[in-house]
Amino acid sequence: MEREKRKDGICLRMENISKQFPKVLANENISIYLKRGEILALLGENGAGKSTLMNILYGLYRPTCGQIYINNHEATLLSPKDAISLGLGMVHQHFMLIENLTVTENIVLGMEPGSWGFIDFKKARKIVKELSEQYHLFVDPDAKIEGLSVGQQQRVEILKALYRKATILILDEPTAVLTPQEVDGLFVVMRSLQERKVSIIIITHKLEEVKAISGRVYILRRGKLAGERVTKDISKAELAHLMVGRDVVLTLNKENRITEKKPGFTLQNLFVKNDNGVTALNNLSLEVCPGEIVGIAGVAGNGQKELEEVLIGIRRIEKGNILLTGKNISRYGVKKRIQSGLSYVPSDRYRYGLFLSMKVSENILASSLDRKPYVNGINLRLRVINRRSEELVTMYGIKTPSVHEPVSNLSGGNQQKVILAREFSREPVVLVVSQPTRGLDVGAIEFIHSEILKMRDRDTAVLLISMELEEIFALSDRILVLYEGSIVKEFDPGKTSHKEVGYYMTGGGER
Amino acid sequence: MTAREILYKYRVIVFILLFLLAGSGIILYITSYFAGLLFILLAIIIYYGFHFLLKDKRIVLSEIKSIAKKMLIPLAGITIAVLIGAVVMIITGYNPLTAYGALFYGGFVKNWHVSLLNAAPLIFTGLSVAFAFKAGLFNIGAEGQYYIGAMAAAGLGIYFDWHPLVTIPVIFLAAGLLGSLYNFFPALLKVKTGAHEVITTMMFAHIARYFSSIFIRNFGGDPSTSSHPYVTDPVLPSNWLLRFKDMFPWANYRLHSGIIIAILTAFFVHYLLSYTRIGFEIRAVGSNPAAAKTQGISTGKTVFIALMVAGFLSAMAGVNQVLGLDHKLYGNLSTGYGWNGISVALLASNHPVGVIFTSILWGALDAGGQYMARTQEVHNSIVEIIKGTVLFLVVARYLYTYWGQKRKKKETCNE
Repeated sequence: MEREKRKDGICLRMENISKQFPKVLANENISIYLKRGEILALLGENGAGKSTLMNILYGLYRPTCGQIYINNHEATLLSPKDAISLGLGMVHQHFMLIENLTVTENIVLGMEPGSWGFIDFKKARKIVKELSEQYHLFVDPDAKIEGLSVGQQQRVEILKALYRKATILILDEPTAVLTPQEVDGLFVVMRSLQERKVSIIIITHKLEEVKAISGRVYILRRGKLAGERVTKDISKAELAHLMVGRDVVLTLNKENRITEKKPGFTLQNLFVKNDNGVTALNNLSLEVCPGEIVGIAGVAGNGQKELEEVLIGIRRIEKGNILLTGKNISRYGVKKRIQSGLSYVPSDRYRYGLFLSMKVSENILASSLDRKPYVNGINLRLRVINRRSEELVTMYGIKTPSVHEPVSNLSGGNQQKVILAREFSREPVVLVVSQPTRGLDVGAIEFIHSEILKMRDRDTAVLLISMELEEIFALSDRILVLYEGSIVKEFDPGKTSHKEVGYYMTGGGER
Repeated sequence: MTAREILYKYRVIVFILLFLLAGSGIILYITSYFAGLLFILLAIIIYYGFHFLLKDKRIVLSEIKSIAKKMLIPLAGITIAVLIGAVVMIITGYNPLTAYGALFYGGFVKNWHVSLLNAAPLIFTGLSVAFAFKAGLFNIGAEGQYYIGAMAAAGLGIYFDWHPLVTIPVIFLAAGLLGSLYNFFPALLKVKTGAHEVITTMMFAHIARYFSSIFIRNFGGDPSTSSHPYVTDPVLPSNWLLRFKDMFPWANYRLHSGIIIAILTAFFVHYLLSYTRIGFEIRAVGSNPAAAKTQGISTGKTVFIALMVAGFLSAMAGVNQVLGLDHKLYGNLSTGYGWNGISVALLASNHPVGVIFTSILWGALDAGGQYMARTQEVHNSIVEIIKGTVLFLVVARYLYTYWGQKRKKKETCNE
């Protein structure tokens, strides 16, 4: 009954969508709808499944199960071509423009006006000009893409979709690459599109944007729909809770055992840029003492990735110092940092943590295969390597047929345990752990948490970066809130609440 | 259990005996004394029997299983390609059974020595490509490094007059180092600017190939003394690689020891990749460069080493041809050992020991194809069709994964 009532004005429905990738279930039984002329936000952390869902809608992926209805007709989307013909347009995070062609050429490419194989450039230019005036998307139709700013390139992408008669526009993290002024400009454009009955889906992990622009919001968490809200009825803190909150509450035996403050790991006034050359860490300072876990809380995209990369040494420091027990390691390469006693559990375990096609034994000892007792001259001492990896496999309870198994055959939890075994068994002085339990089941999470606590009890200085507040609260001795590349607040986990931390995570402390 | 203990105690002796047995079997087989195969089979049986006794049976079984699994795709590809070739022959009016009979007889029995002569340089270039592949690099310019090696071998071989036990290793080493040096600039560009090695090594390959024509003019190529002007002076006979006929009178007079060097090199490369530190680092960088970096492995250094070693191996192919078979450098620009090296490496999934077998297969297809063309009047382009189809089927193995995913999809939705 209710669905019948809702039906008018609904231009898009996705029902019971699931997507199974070889290793992960990226979307699980998600149903959403979109009304004509609505700005809908899709909120969730990195890896929550937002982009997968939208890529399914745009025909880039095929759903494992589920149906899509566009204007109440079931649609089979085999490729973006099908999606475009049904009035969908998508602006990707990385623009799909040809640098040395003009704006007009880029927009009409693939659907050029003209006949007999000739392109009517005059007509093309006129259409582009009309479109850009009609939607207040001002760009010079004759400019070459390479000369345009990122914000202008984004407009070209939007025009490209509109030229293809898009009535539903998907924007994938549109503000990630923009300056604050450009963001304001984008919002103006989005509102004017809305007035002309274009429906917009905006993918984001930034709460301010949801509040600023959207009318309704779906929250995704771990591939599942965590909620649907009308934006004006929900506060940022509640949104944050829906986005990062976890249903599992873990009780861990933990007591603050730090008595005297010794220097363990110190970051002094770090300045670091992200891949786009924008400042990602802005004058960040912090200190972790031996035998202490410091949790970095924050919403994804506030500098966490850059922080972990700069600590292990694969991102350049613009300014500032990293001290390890008083020794300046800022100029050290990765190898020297590892030898100085740094261990690192990366958030992106497939990119930075594992050699999927290689054996468990080779993964579990990867950083030690350049020294005794594993190496003799240039020879690997396979017997020593195998014995040690078997030891570690038992110690960390890794389920694998043998140490010769390729890591790709292990489950996600066991893969993470392989990384843990490698990094923890080096007996580090400082341990940087980022997102250690992302995508894992409860059993693995509990094991990993207790291992991290064990490391603390062995007087290791642990820096825990996590986007899950539950995890931060469960493990940390101190909580630092990271917002826009700086530490904005320090909390004692015993004397604060999720709500208060969430408030600072979303920029509440600024005003 | 005592038998087991005794075996364990004398395992070194057993392995030496096994090595001798297998080695003599291989040499007998190479020299067309096919009973050598029995020796080889015996050695394999003893080897695995020994493992069964000493190790956990399950581990040995899973080892055998994984080897069989690795061979499944190439073998399936070959079978399908042979069938497709048969269809082509039936359509064009030939009897596939007699044609294939001739192909097999020519390649593996009658002209077996030609197959091996074809295979030896392919093993070297195939190893070169495979080695670079392990580091995630595509050494498409093996052909160029081959010519560098051939030129070095010809240049040194004409003038370097000393005891062969000194000269031959020195020539191999010098030519190999020049081949490495030839890959120095592609490696430097790759590490410093990210210029893709496919482009740079391929361009370098063309430079080396055409430079060889100039080289030949300067080391002979006197039109008045030679019927073939585009050829260097011959290499000193003392620098020739040892020929089998000198030791085994029944062997073909052209067959030289280059094939043995090639096989030993393949095993050495296998050792280098699987049992040494640098081999581990190369595989790690090839598997996931970003993760290698966070484990403190220098990707730049590894890329350098991989390309230099690849250059060395390709150059050895050139030396093998000049010192072993031709004894001079011909200005023939279409030998294609470098390009075919890519094929044999792909077919072997870049396994160094696998490269030996795929190279011999390729060589036998060529030799057998010629024999077939002569005796059955079937055009030997059928061999190229088979080769192309095999490669296509092996490289297109993502088809299998596609089928796998489709099956999985059905399973998840039916729940």
